[in-house]
Amino acid sequence: MSESKSKALRRGMWTFVALMVLTILEFGVAIALRGSIIPLFLIALIKAAMIVWVFMHIYRLWREESH
Amino acid sequence: MSMVTTTSQEHHGEDHSHEPPWPVQLKSNRLGMWLFMFSEVFLFGALLTARFILWGQFRPRLSQEIGLVATVILLFSSWFVYRGQTAIEFGDRKAFQRNFLLAAIFGTLFLIGVVFFEWNIFGLSASIGPIELFGHLKPSDGVESGIFFAMTGWHALHVVTGVMLLLIMWNKGRRGEFTPGRSWGVEGAGLYWHFVDVVWVFYYPALYLMGLPM
Repeated sequence: MSESKSKALRRGMWTFVALMVLTILEFGVAIALRGSIIPLFLIALIKAAMIVWVFMHIYRLWREESH
Repeated sequence: MSMVTTTSQEHHGEDHSHEPPWPVQLKSNRLGMWLFMFSEVFLFGALLTARFILWGQFRPRLSQEIGLVATVILLFSSWFVYRGQTAIEFGDRKAFQRNFLLAAIFGTLFLIGVVFFEWNIFGLSASIGPIELFGHLKPSDGVESGIFFAMTGWHALHVVTGVMLLLIMWNKGRRGEFTPGRSWGVEGAGLYWHFVDVVWVFYYPALYLMGLPM
């Protein structure tokens, strides 16, 4: 918990915004590329990675807690 | 009798000398939760694989707009959970309660979207312009349709569990059970909810967007 609360909230907000943009993008890609699987799967991978890293804090698994 | 009571208290309530230090416990809790989620990946992954085997390069005619709205709702709920987790880590109990309650409400809205609109359990029919509001697939339509209900049904069951967990944590938070350093319940429930969101991140394009309409 080294970063400030406002910084953490801001990071969460920008991640959320990026997820929304990617969701709209994948909707557009599905229409433009007639449901092409590879690009849609890549977008899903990027979205999942963002959630796992920012929202789920996977890096805490190998971090030492002090409290 | 009093001796028995004292011994019982030592074992169940007050004597924590046999427990590992909190940082070690917390690390074990996190590892256990991630291993649990990893095991769930195989289950959801198997259903996803079945979709590609059964549907291949095609997909049933589902309302892509309903899927999009449901996805946005679930993303909102995940964001609220993140905000709630951050709030409790910094000791802001009010913000935690507000955000977890909002997340539970949005999770319920997602469920309504799936069960009421997509599964169309009441057999309704309506549309706004070209957008069909209610789904028309039935579990009895064959194995291709069955996989749709297996994927959305199994995911919806996890959403129900997640909403219950969020509400339990909200209630515990209301009673003041969490402090900045001791909020594993909130973190665990949050991890579970985000995992449910990650599953949908893959299920949404697989069900609604990938492939040509059948």
